[in-house]
Amino acid sequence: MSEIGLTVNARKRVVNVDDDMPLVWILRDTLALTGTKFGCGVGVCGSCTVLENGKAVRSCQIPASEAKERAFVTIEGLSLDASHPCQRAWLEEDVAQCGFCQPGMILTACGLLRDHPNPTDEEINTVMSDSVCRCGTYPRMRKAIRRAAALLREQKR
Amino acid sequence: MIASRRAFLKTAVLGSASLVIGFDGSGLLYAVEAKPGTQFQPNNWVRIDLDGSVTLTIGKSEMGQGVRTSLAMILAEELEADWTRIKLAQASPSAVFDDLGTGGSDSMRDGWRTLRKAGAAAREMLATAAAARWKVDRASCAASNGAIVHLPTNRRFDYGALVTDAGKLPLPKEPSLKNAADFKIVGQRTPRIDGRDIVSGKALYGIDAKIPGMLHASLERPPFEGAKPKRMQEEKARAIRGVRTIAKTSRGIAVVGDTTWAAIKGRTALAVEWDDPPAGAFDSEAHEKLLEAASRERGFITRTEKPPPATGAVAKTIEATYHYPFYAHAPVETMNCVADVRGDRCTIWVGTQAPNKLQKQVAELLHTTPEKVEVNLTLIGGGFGRRLAVEYALEAAEISRVAKAPVQLLWSRPDDMKHGHFQAASVHHLAGGFDAQGAPISWRHTKAGSFHNISPLDPKEVHDAAWYQDWSWGTYDVPYAFPDIETAYVTVDLPVKHGPWRAVFAPSSVFAREAFIDEMAHVHGTDPLAFRLDLLRGADIVKAGTTTIDRRRLRRVLEVVRDKSSWGSPLPQGHGRGVACNAYFGHTYIAYVVDLGVDHDGKVRVERVVAAVDCGIVVNPIGVEQQIEGGIIWGISSALGGEITFRGGVAQQGTYADFAVARMRDTPAVEVHILPSDASEPFGMGEPPVPPIVPAITNAVFAATGKRIRRLPIRPEELKAV
Ligand code: FES
Ligand code: FES
Repeated sequence: MSEIGLTVNARKRVVNVDDDMPLVWILRDTLALTGTKFGCGVGVCGSCTVLENGKAVRSCQIPASEAKERAFVTIEGLSLDASHPCQRAWLEEDVAQCGFCQPGMILTACGLLRDHPNPTDEEINTVMSDSVCRCGTYPRMRKAIRRAAALLREQKR
Repeated sequence: MIASRRAFLKTAVLGSASLVIGFDGSGLLYAVEAKPGTQFQPNNWVRIDLDGSVTLTIGKSEMGQGVRTSLAMILAEELEADWTRIKLAQASPSAVFDDLGTGGSDSMRDGWRTLRKAGAAAREMLATAAAARWKVDRASCAASNGAIVHLPTNRRFDYGALVTDAGKLPLPKEPSLKNAADFKIVGQRTPRIDGRDIVSGKALYGIDAKIPGMLHASLERPPFEGAKPKRMQEEKARAIRGVRTIAKTSRGIAVVGDTTWAAIKGRTALAVEWDDPPAGAFDSEAHEKLLEAASRERGFITRTEKPPPATGAVAKTIEATYHYPFYAHAPVETMNCVADVRGDRCTIWVGTQAPNKLQKQVAELLHTTPEKVEVNLTLIGGGFGRRLAVEYALEAAEISRVAKAPVQLLWSRPDDMKHGHFQAASVHHLAGGFDAQGAPISWRHTKAGSFHNISPLDPKEVHDAAWYQDWSWGTYDVPYAFPDIETAYVTVDLPVKHGPWRAVFAPSSVFAREAFIDEMAHVHGTDPLAFRLDLLRGADIVKAGTTTIDRRRLRRVLEVVRDKSSWGSPLPQGHGRGVACNAYFGHTYIAYVVDLGVDHDGKVRVERVVAAVDCGIVVNPIGVEQQIEGGIIWGISSALGGEITFRGGVAQQGTYADFAVARMRDTPAVEVHILPSDASEPFGMGEPPVPPIVPAITNAVFAATGKRIRRLPIRPEELKAV
C-alpha cells in the first residue's frame, strides 16, 4: 500500500492503494470515474482503454506502481460536452448499441487517429481489432473513424 | 440518475399524481386512483408536470436494441409531445409493473399496442381540458408539439398549463389513434436518446452502480454441479489487505473486500480446490454422439403435411446431418449486481431482462415478500438472453446477507464464460425427396436438442405439437411448399446450464434448413435463390404449425437481395456467394446474400453482405439497421469464431482468446434494405437478423470451395486447399 500521485483528466490525484492494483480499479473504484469499463482484466477486450499523451493504453494492464507520476485521460476527460471529433463522429454515425464497449472504442480510435490521421482500412483493422464489441457495431465504427478523421483534419486547418 | 429515477417512482407510488390509470392484462384502460394534484399522470407510462415537461416510462430493458428511444418515439408520437423536451424513467417492478421482461423480440409489438393507446388517451384528455377552458368544441382543437391549439383562433395552451384540469377528466375508453400518414416521429431516423451519455462515459450500467458503504465481492463457484471444496487457504485470503469477509453461501465462496481488487486478490489467494469431476461428468463430444444418434429416431412429430393424392412417389432421396455446437453469450459487461440486504428488505441495482422474476426470486431467497425487494434497473452492457437468468442477483443477495453490508458482486470474464447458460448444441437430420421428374416433393427435418433448464418446466403444460414447436423454431415452420412435410423433435437430456441466447432455438434449425435447401437446389441443378423462390409459390398465406407465414413477404426480401447484390454476376477465384432467408414467427422477414473469399489456408473472409428486411412498420430505421448489422456480426462470430466445449463437466473456454468473437477485421461491407411493408404493426428486430446469416455464409463457402459445411463453427483446416 502506498501513496501514489497521478494525473487524471488534467487533475492531480493522490490515491492510497496497493502497488499492484490496476489503474482500471483506481479509476473506477477509488476515483469513481466509471466511464472506463472493465471487460476482461487481461488486456484482450479494450473496454478499459484510456489515453496517455494521446496514445491508447489499457488500464487493466497498468499496476498502480507503474501508473505513478503519469497522466491519463479517460472518456470523462475527452471533452466537457461530447464535442471531441471522435465523440461527434460517433453520434453522427449512430454507432452505439448497448454502448458498454464504446468509451474504450472511442479512445482507441483517438489513438489510431493520432498515429494515422488518414487511416487505411488495414490500419483501422489492425488497431481496432484488439477490442471487442459483442453488439457488432463495427460497420458504423469504421464510418465514424473516417468521419472523425475528416473532422480532425478540418480542425487543424 | 439512479436517485432521480427512484424519486420519480416513489412519487408515483405515493399518489401525489392527480390521476393514475393503467392497463389490465387485456390492454384495457382502468382507473386506479384519482386525486387532485400538480401532475397529470393519466396512466403508467405518461406523466406531465406543471412546467410542461413530459416523462415517459419505459417498461423494457435497454441493452443496445434502442428500446428506450423507440418506445419513447411511439409514446411521444401519439401524445404529440415535444421530442426535445421529454424525459425518460425506467419502470421498476411494483404492484403496477408486475410483469416486466425483455426478450423474444416482442418489445415493439407490445409497445405499439399499449403505448399508442396511452399516449392517445393523454392527448385526448388534454384537448378536452383545453376545449373546456376556451368553451369551444374539442374537434376544433388539435395537439401539436407539446401544446393544444385552437385551430380557428390559433390560441394555444402548453400541456403544462392543462395538467390540473386534465387530471380531473374521465378516461376516454377508446381514444382515437393517429393515422400513419400523420406520423411525425415514428418512421424518422432518430438518434439514440442516450447517445451523448454513452459517448461521454456517463451512461450507467450495473457495474457502475455505487452506493455508500458498498463492498465488493468475487465469488468462487463450484465448477460443476454438486462439487464440494476440498481445500482452501482462508488465512492467506484474509491476510490480503482490504479483504473483509469470506462469505460461504449456498452458491459458492465469496471473498468480500473494500475494493474490487481486494476481492479479486483475495479470491486468488483463497485458492479453492474442488472435488475432481465424477466419472462420466458432462462431455460435449460424448453429448454430440448422443444427439447424433437421437437425430435418427422418430421423435415427436411437430408438423405433418400429407401429400395430396396426385403427388408422385419419391424417386430419389438425399440426406444430411448438421451439427450445431454450444455457444456463450459473452456480453462485454460481465454479470454483476449490487445488493443491499437489511433484515427482511433488500435493495438491488442490476442490469436484467427479467426484473419481476428477479424480484420474486430474491424475495423467496430472503423469505420475504416481493414488495420488500426494490429493484433498480440500469442499462445493460449486452443482454442477448443471458440476463433473463437472475442467479447473479441471488448470489449478490446471499453475499450481502452474510457480509451485512451492501455488496457489489462482479463476475470475472472466465466466470462469465464458464458459468453461462449456454446456447445448447443440437444435431439435425434432414432428408429431401425428388419425384421421378426430379421435382422436389418431400421434406424431413428432425432436430435433436434439449429443453432450457434455467427455469423448471411447468408440469401442468401439455406436451402437444404446439408445445414441441415452441422448442424447435425454424424446424416446423419451414416455409417452402413441399407437398409432403414431416418435422420432428427428439429430446436429449443436457445437464449443464442452458437457456435463451440471441434468437433462442432458431439459429441451429435455420442453419440446417437453409443449408439443406441449398443441397437440394444443387442436386436439382437449379440456382439456389431461384430454387427458393420456386418453392415459395402456391398459397401466399400458409399455416406452418402455430405460425402463419406470408410467402409474399419472404419472396420480396429474396427478390430484393437478388437484385441489389447482382446475384449471378461472376466472382474472382476462391470467392463464393450464398443466400439464405427466414420468416421469424411469420413476423420479421429477412434475406441475406453473402459474398466471401476463402484463402489458401482455408480462412474465410466475409466481404459483403446485402440484407433485405420486412419488419412491418418501422419505428426507427436507425435501430433496424443497427440490429441487422449487429445480427450479421453475431452470425460471423458463430460461423467463424469460437465454440464452447465441455470436459469433466466444465466449459473449457474462459476468455475472448479461446472463445473468439468477431472483430473489426472480420467485418464485411453491409448494405441494409428496409422494405415498405403492408403489415399493420412493428415487429421485433433484436433476434430475427441472427438465424439466416450463418447459412448464407456456409452456402457461400460451398459456392467458393465445393465443400459443404455441416458442422459449426467452420474449421479452416477442412477448407484448406490441398
Ligand atoms: S479490461 Fe482491459 S483489456 Fe479488457
Ligand atoms: S455496443 Fe455493446 S458491446 Fe459494443
